[in-house]
Amino acid sequence: MKPLYLCSLIATLTLSHPVIADESLITTDDATREAYTQPVPALSETDRPKFFKGRALVRQSWVIPPSENREISGLGPLYNRISCIACHAGNGRGFAPATPQEPMRSMLVRLSIPGTDAHGGPKPHLAYGGQLNENGVPGVPGEGRAEVRYTEQAIKLNGGKQVMLRKPNLTFVDLAYGEFSLDMLTSPRIAPPIFGLGLLQAVSEADIVALVDTPKPKGIKGKVNRVWDVVQQKTVLGRFGWKANMPNLRQQIAGAFVGDMGITSPLFPQENCTEAQIVCQQSPSAGKPELSTEQLDAAEFYHFSLAAPRQRNVENTDVKRGALLFKQAQCAACHVSELKTSNFPSYPTLTRQTIHPYTDLLLHDMGDALADQRPDYLATGREWRTPPLWGIGLAQKVEPRAGFLHDGRARNLLEAVLWHDGEGVEAARAVKDMTVPDRRALLKFLESL
Amino acid sequence: MTQIIWIVSVVLLLLSQLASATEKVVVLTSYPQEVVTQFEAAFEQAYPQFQLEILWRQSRDAMSYLHQPHGAIDVYWTPAQRNFAVLAKEGAFRKLDIDLNGLPKVIGGFQISDPDGFYVATETAGFGMAYNPGELHRLGLPVPIDWKTLTSPAFSGHIAFPIPSKTGYAPMLVDTLLQGYGWEQGWSILEQVAANASLADAGSAFISDDVGSGRIAVGATIDFFATSAIANGKPLRFAYPEKVGYSPAHIAIFNDAAHLEGARAFANFVLSEQGQKILFHPDIRKLPVRPSVYAHKPDGYFDPFAAAQRASYKYDMASGLARQEVVGALFDALITRHHAALKTMWVTIHQAEQKAPDDPRLKVAHSQANWLPLTLAQVNDNDLQHSFIRRDSHSESIEQQWDADIAKHYAQATQLAQEILGSQK
Repeated sequence: MKPLYLCSLIATLTLSHPVIADESLITTDDATREAYTQPVPALSETDRPKFFKGRALVRQSWVIPPSENREISGLGPLYNRISCIACHAGNGRGFAPATPQEPMRSMLVRLSIPGTDAHGGPKPHLAYGGQLNENGVPGVPGEGRAEVRYTEQAIKLNGGKQVMLRKPNLTFVDLAYGEFSLDMLTSPRIAPPIFGLGLLQAVSEADIVALVDTPKPKGIKGKVNRVWDVVQQKTVLGRFGWKANMPNLRQQIAGAFVGDMGITSPLFPQENCTEAQIVCQQSPSAGKPELSTEQLDAAEFYHFSLAAPRQRNVENTDVKRGALLFKQAQCAACHVSELKTSNFPSYPTLTRQTIHPYTDLLLHDMGDALADQRPDYLATGREWRTPPLWGIGLAQKVEPRAGFLHDGRARNLLEAVLWHDGEGVEAARAVKDMTVPDRRALLKFLESL
Repeated sequence: MTQIIWIVSVVLLLLSQLASATEKVVVLTSYPQEVVTQFEAAFEQAYPQFQLEILWRQSRDAMSYLHQPHGAIDVYWTPAQRNFAVLAKEGAFRKLDIDLNGLPKVIGGFQISDPDGFYVATETAGFGMAYNPGELHRLGLPVPIDWKTLTSPAFSGHIAFPIPSKTGYAPMLVDTLLQGYGWEQGWSILEQVAANASLADAGSAFISDDVGSGRIAVGATIDFFATSAIANGKPLRFAYPEKVGYSPAHIAIFNDAAHLEGARAFANFVLSEQGQKILFHPDIRKLPVRPSVYAHKPDGYFDPFAAAQRASYKYDMASGLARQEVVGALFDALITRHHAALKTMWVTIHQAEQKAPDDPRLKVAHSQANWLPLTLAQVNDNDLQHSFIRRDSHSESIEQQWDADIAKHYAQATQLAQEILGSQK
């Protein structure tokens, strides 16, 4: 039996039994606009206050120092948004602006210059750092604004339907710290959803590495990223972020606090000012650090506790057919339906669970169509981590404008599929060539996740 | 032809540059992100020439901040009525020179906007009871229709009530109840409801969480916590009592607003039909202050203007705001710090009422239980109010005396009720 067929068979068997007993402990049946905010059902009464404390921090609008409310103070000097949920509305994904005039409300632009930093990561720009912060506290100029304009291309599908795909082009205006040099590397990113991340952290490194060598259809590879762990002070497996450039949830959270809101933490104790940003450096801080260890613990605990939505309508004929087509079109080669978590003492409930995230957590070459040409550790400018698909069918219920792919260019799931290039080009072609009922079934399946 | 293309290109370039030349408008608020998100997106679409910058501060912190040199804030837009009253008195605001037609200054007996026109209501919210119908059915409890419903011993252990000194919206909830029923009867109802309740502070889970999950059957709360949860799928209901109390939010433009046109545009937008309809959003669910938009309300949405025509009472907003600290401190003395004794007292009294409803000592027990250390005239005393705002040694010594007196009266009421029960054995 060929490996591809074996994989398909295994995946088919898995999909025919999508719910197992233990899964009820870590997934939620909630399919409302609050689907992504639910704690794992196994959350104990004892742990509920900690969950709510973490939730309060994620929902908190942060205050510019000085403030009487020391525990929620620390916004800036430079920042993108004033709260986590400003970008991750309902704990879900963000979206791209529709017009050049519309600000990036749940999206940011990563910046770097060619070369690497001391740990192999992107080399920050001397004046602007690693991320464009559009806002500054009073007296500190925001760094500038990114405007998005789109060029559109028509894709004709089997059956006659035409789909317009839009490709974003960025221009930068109101740059307060000098014009961008010609070699500036930029990468726009929408906010990703934040549920189920504890479960992904609980997947063992060995299992992720093993997925690299799992037989895949021709042309599909997959590799791990190796990134800097600021606590361990060493290079480790990367698993979070659009390019798997974060080693764990704690660093991801602390990185977002400092990068997006200018809130320092035990992991990132320095304010987000570059050497060229003198006024920024002189701006008051709310503490050293601003986010305490206890607060970071609570935020991490909250993220660990967020359940993943369980698949819905599993008995629907279209959904069943779509699941089969998902594998036949090679989508399942990267969007791996089933993973197992390992021993996870940080949050024992997540230990040895079978999960259905539809990701391999690996980097894949997605071709020129999706390339940002900005390397990030081992990820090249064409490579992206397979984003998890669990809960994706609820994305636009949670946030009606939710976008798909790293820069939110795809306005719906079909557009997202059609953008696949590189290792995903065969999948996109298969979907394009599908009959109308088959394509509908595939989308029904995705909407059931 | 080439010339036409060139002219079109130049015009497009100029238009593009014009669109980029946005003026800022800086707004200070304490609204949660869900509210801010909806308004900023809609405002920026309606007024692309302005870039909205939101600064966030809780009400008390905002007052400290605004009393220091703080840079340019143009607009204050938030639910913090006392801040608006104080700042208007200090001359911080300019008169709102925008079109206020179609915006009543009152809802029934509630003054919601500044009579002098320095700040105007942008929305309001009503106080009432969130309940879980399934849990009530399971417990065999009636659907609450008024605060008095919750004084029944049958609700014991199935209610949550917020502590006004710890929860932002609760001072007005308590005061509207005190004004709605009168000082003495209001406290009596409050104490009996609280005796049945667990007390929620700012660090607790949202009442709608606990009620939504069925951990608690009924929660005293402000409507939008519950109605937003309902709109987002929680199995809850919300009941407004007959005499509804309201907590309005306001908008004002600072005298020294650096971006006056943007400030006017934002205030106009928030008060416009379009802005008011945003309040219907499932994540917001506040009550518009422009009556005309209720023609477009979602099914079942509460209309305070219609409700005020059915039943209303005159609420003295100025007195309510002035005495917030005293009332909050009194709540803590009567209820928070003596919660166990309060529960025991009312359980014992209710048992005595059942066993010996005609015993004349019950009247004395009730009198002891309902004893208050302050009269209505005393609570409205200006010096006392300022002492509690400052939290000075005078207010501390008063609280110590309250504690001693309350403990004594609760003990006497409990003992009397026990004696009634004992004499019935």
